[in-house]
Amino acid sequence: MTAALWQYILGGVVDGAIFALVAAGFVLIYQVTGIINLAQGEFVMIGGMTAAALTTGGMPLVGAAAIAVALAAAAGGLTYLLAIRPARGGTALTLLFITLGVDVALRGLALFVWGTNPYSLPPFSAGNAIVIFGGALPPQALWVLGTDALVFAALYLFFRHTRVGTAVRAAVANPPIASTFGIPLRTFAFGSFVVAAAIGGLGGVVITPIPGVQYDAGLTYGLAGFVSAVLGGIDSLPGALLGGFTLGIVEHVAAGLLSPGWDQGLGFLILLLVLVVRPQGLLGRAARRA
Amino acid sequence: MTVMAEPVTLTVNAVSMRFGGVQALDDVSFSARGAEVLGVMGPNGAGKTTLFNIISGVQRPTAGSVHLGEMRLTGRPVDRVAALGVTRTFQTPVMFWGLTVRESVCIALTACEFGGSYPPRADRALLPSGLGMPVRRRADKALRARADALLERVGLTRMGDRPTESLAFGEERLLELTRALAVDPRVLLLDEPLSGLNPDEVGEVLRLIRGARDAGIAVLLVEHAVGELLSVADRVVVLDYGRTIAEGPPAVVAADPTVIDAYIGDELE
Repeated sequence: MTAALWQYILGGVVDGAIFALVAAGFVLIYQVTGIINLAQGEFVMIGGMTAAALTTGGMPLVGAAAIAVALAAAAGGLTYLLAIRPARGGTALTLLFITLGVDVALRGLALFVWGTNPYSLPPFSAGNAIVIFGGALPPQALWVLGTDALVFAALYLFFRHTRVGTAVRAAVANPPIASTFGIPLRTFAFGSFVVAAAIGGLGGVVITPIPGVQYDAGLTYGLAGFVSAVLGGIDSLPGALLGGFTLGIVEHVAAGLLSPGWDQGLGFLILLLVLVVRPQGLLGRAARRA
Repeated sequence: MTVMAEPVTLTVNAVSMRFGGVQALDDVSFSARGAEVLGVMGPNGAGKTTLFNIISGVQRPTAGSVHLGEMRLTGRPVDRVAALGVTRTFQTPVMFWGLTVRESVCIALTACEFGGSYPPRADRALLPSGLGMPVRRRADKALRARADALLERVGLTRMGDRPTESLAFGEERLLELTRALAVDPRVLLLDEPLSGLNPDEVGEVLRLIRGARDAGIAVLLVEHAVGELLSVADRVVVLDYGRTIAEGPPAVVAADPTVIDAYIGDELE
């Protein structure tokens, strides 16, 4: 029983790692622009599909991964330039629906380019499963967890220790005032979409060797990432990390102990409970902006 | 602001602003020169804040334009206008949540690095500090010293590491002004910088305003405390119902019957 539970938790950690990356994308874009970007999961799909399709075609992994991340980042940048920027000044609801439209459009585009066949990517490193206290992790899990560590460390360094990062924090704290200093809000908004999409794309590349990928994989990632971000606090990057792992573990334990159909249901139940007790999420700020 | 900025003239050229049926500004023209304090007076609803919003790029006028020297400001977004040297404060000081007092001054000091047009110093902007790079460490130390010097001038030195939301109202005002000066503007728009301050703080703010003028900045001052405004202004423009009704030296304007008329029952009685 405990051995099985431990195995579920380990499985949840792997899923949680990718959820956290997607959640980080939600948080970045929300913080800088105030928009919930429902297309966030599609960047994971684009990253995974591109890398898988290119390596299947014979390209070395490193090149395929680089192109996949670049393509996801470009998709993010274009999302901002073509769909969000022309609608600036629209209400939050309008912008939300626009991102929903982008989500559907990107999935449709993927269906057109790659068809409905699932693609797979070989694990980055060979080797047996890693055994931790009797539970097993696929070696690829270390790549996913390492990517999390790298991405969150880079975000921390950027926001705390670079001048641009500090300026972005100022723009987040108070956009109208920041712009009276000459801080270019729209450049930062564009940047947040590019970076969030690149993070999603990178997540897609590293996670794909485990579950595989197909044109509609973005839906699951997007939903899980959104729930993780809200769970942890939509304005908190550490919250994204915590929310991602919490959701991943809860889902896996629920699916294992109860039944496979229960995973998402219980994930949402946890979300509801947290929102009732702490509406701002686990690590979110209670009231933003005076 | 030890170096005298090259004085530049801000020209408001036949600006009109209509909100639905309300004519907030009607064909307003004037100019503000560098190294002068231009008082902008008028009863409530005269259009002073609308005028500031138009100059700083927050709102676009229905007609007319604003120029800085030869450069047309109208039509540019706020951050471009700011990068060209026009910055402002607001009626209620607004703080950056989650940033310390010193950080918020540092941001103002370095903001022009992200604007693009004004001295291109973006090379330093992305290098992380605290990773032992001597170039960056020196730059950071210099930046911190500049921020502390500005804070010392307004007596906020010991608040440097405090979060901005912990300041008292008067301190917020002083920080807001310090921030605006740190942007190194050529034109500074001050919207009621004296309201809610105690007499000591009023003296402090007036001293800062004079200092900014002496550094070559064109200061546009909207203020309900008419006595203080007339004492610090070099010239005054008076608006009423969106129109310019008087313009000239403070003493002349204060004695103008039209102005007194407009203010009857208001501050000048």
